[in-house]
Amino acid sequence: MRESFIEFRNVSFRYGEEQPWVLKDVSFVIYPDEWVAIIGHNGSGKSTIAKLINGLLFPQEGEIFVDGVHVNQDSIWDVRKNVGMVFQNPDNQFVGTTVRDDVAFGLENRGIPRQEMIDRINTSLTAVAMNDYFLHEPHRLSGGQKQRVAIASILAISPKVVILDEATAMLDPKGKLEIMRTITEVQDKLDLALVTITHDLNEITLADRVIVMNEGQVWLEATPREVFTKKEELRRIGLDTPFISKLADELISIGLVFNNHPLSHEELLEELWTYHSKM
Amino acid sequence: MDISFKNVSYTYQPNTPFEHRAIHGLSFKISSGSFVAIVGHTGSGKSTLIQHLNGLLRPTIGQVTIGGFQLSSEKKLKQMKELRRRVGVVFQYPEHQLFEETVAKDIAFGPSNFGVDSEEISRRTLEAIKAVGLPEPLLERSPFDLSGGQMRRVAIAGVLAMNPEVLVLDEPTAGLDPRGQTEVMDMFYQLHQQKQLTTILVTHSMEDALHYADHVIILDHGTKYMEGKPEEVFVKKKELNKVQLDVPEVIQFLFKVEKKFGVRLTYHGQGLNEIANELHSIIKGADSIE
Ligand SMILES: Nc1ncnc2c1ncn2[C@@H]1O[C@H](COP(=O)(O)OP(=O)(O)OP(=O)(O)O)[C@@H](O)[C@H]1O
Ligand SMILES: Nc1ncnc2c1ncn2[C@@H]1O[C@H](COP(=O)(O)OP(=O)(O)OP(=O)(O)O)[C@@H](O)[C@H]1O
Ligand SMILES: [Mg+2]
Ligand SMILES: [Mg+2]
Repeated sequence: MRESFIEFRNVSFRYGEEQPWVLKDVSFVIYPDEWVAIIGHNGSGKSTIAKLINGLLFPQEGEIFVDGVHVNQDSIWDVRKNVGMVFQNPDNQFVGTTVRDDVAFGLENRGIPRQEMIDRINTSLTAVAMNDYFLHEPHRLSGGQKQRVAIASILAISPKVVILDEATAMLDPKGKLEIMRTITEVQDKLDLALVTITHDLNEITLADRVIVMNEGQVWLEATPREVFTKKEELRRIGLDTPFISKLADELISIGLVFNNHPLSHEELLEELWTYHSKM
Repeated sequence: MDISFKNVSYTYQPNTPFEHRAIHGLSFKISSGSFVAIVGHTGSGKSTLIQHLNGLLRPTIGQVTIGGFQLSSEKKLKQMKELRRRVGVVFQYPEHQLFEETVAKDIAFGPSNFGVDSEEISRRTLEAIKAVGLPEPLLERSPFDLSGGQMRRVAIAGVLAMNPEVLVLDEPTAGLDPRGQTEVMDMFYQLHQQKQLTTILVTHSMEDALHYADHVIILDHGTKYMEGKPEEVFVKKKELNKVQLDVPEVIQFLFKVEKKFGVRLTYHGQGLNEIANELHSIIKGADSIE
């Protein structure tokens, strides 16, 4: 058995005593060096899960472990050292008055020596193509530029887990691909766990595993391929399938049979090619 | 309302070390009743452009005309309130437009500010909350205690309740769940047609631009790079790649089919079932040649 990196054990949470439960008996594990996508309809509890992982909230029931440490009031500072989190709206996250200071902030907090700090600021801002914006105010950037800076700030601290809560939603398609490539490269190099909370169907196909949330409960844990075979059910719970998967379903409905439900352009083209040579 | 930009430039923080020209020399026309998509890389000036449409920004150089309203650096617009009544803007980050203590009050803010009576406001509020797919009990909650996607929906409902003539949408589906993205875009489109609105959509989804817009304007580093009909603009792969963009996914796929099978399929708005049939006959057709 691999050792888990993040573990939720029967976690239930509500925002107040009078309020409804927004997470109900949620259990799952995330392993180190794994990329897990958490998906689900609006209000299904995804951001709440992210906030529980780094101790911004605590569950009323159940327990959460990060890197073997039980997340509670006493351990949050240790836990947060290992967790790099980018929220939906980066505005709430900026602390520095310049882009450079903002990235520096997390490094100072971790007592990184000055020269290394400078190196890391340069490297991480270059990695997200924001190296021309060192002295800009984070609040005075475009939506996508803000997201890039927020991502640079967490890459700089090299955490053990990166949690991206819709952190690339405002990027142009090419920019999104580039940033995801940068992040997965870092992930490979440093063996970190990557948790992406996203509504981007194509991005989900790239993850190792998917946790599907529905009304505060884990609805399914599976590979992207398994998840996207459930077209009807997904739509019922506010989700959908990606373009290639939809096109493959149309082809299946007119009689084609695929060995593997295709998820990428290349996979579908390959399946069609096999057919073509068989005919 | 007809909209036109004549040689418009906008500079943030002029005469400071942070001076930054976000758009320059921008000219285009949008005729009343059209659905226009504005696309462009991160930082290309889209949000800056659309903030001119309700007078939040005034051009540093040039002139913006929206119906009978004119914006230029020389003089402040006197009928600003009237302009804002007629042009509804959904901003890129919904948090920026929520501020009341309950969702109901937030949605009512626009219309009550413009003198709509309370009975009509309640009617519009219920209609708007339904249009964005939120349950009614949510009206009594604080907009700040909502999930990201729920906030987005409330922000949209607030703009709908104003009954604007011009609908300006800055990435309105960011943060919505996949089914919600389709539902909300379809809802905008229906409204656009029913009420003959002029709709301006900023989006990173070339698919949405292709699907809903009848005209596309492409920005690159604050200038106009290209404009035209979506079917014409969205096949120019090389030109789009030069400015960080790409053709919509369906067209990307058809290009790859052509490369692999040597057969060209053109996209003319056909559905996936039709494309599936076309693919099927390519596979079979190749057979009859062999
Ligand atoms: N601060 C809060 N106070 C009270 N309720 C809240 C608060 N934040 C979120 N909620 C509620 O908890 C539920 C789960 O919210 P959460 O933000 O975790 O959803 P989500 O899955 O991230 O949704 P989205 O896709 O819209 O971001 C929602 O019903 C939401 O209204
Ligand atoms: N308040 C501001 N002060 C100074 N510069 C700004 C401000 N807002 C935006 N900018 C700059 O102006 C340029 C255009 O920004 P804008 O927000 O219009 O881009 P955008 O096309 O909407 O990008 P995105 O897709 O990332 O939202 C960017 O380079 C940005 O850094
Ligand atoms: Mg969320
Ligand atoms: Mg923008």
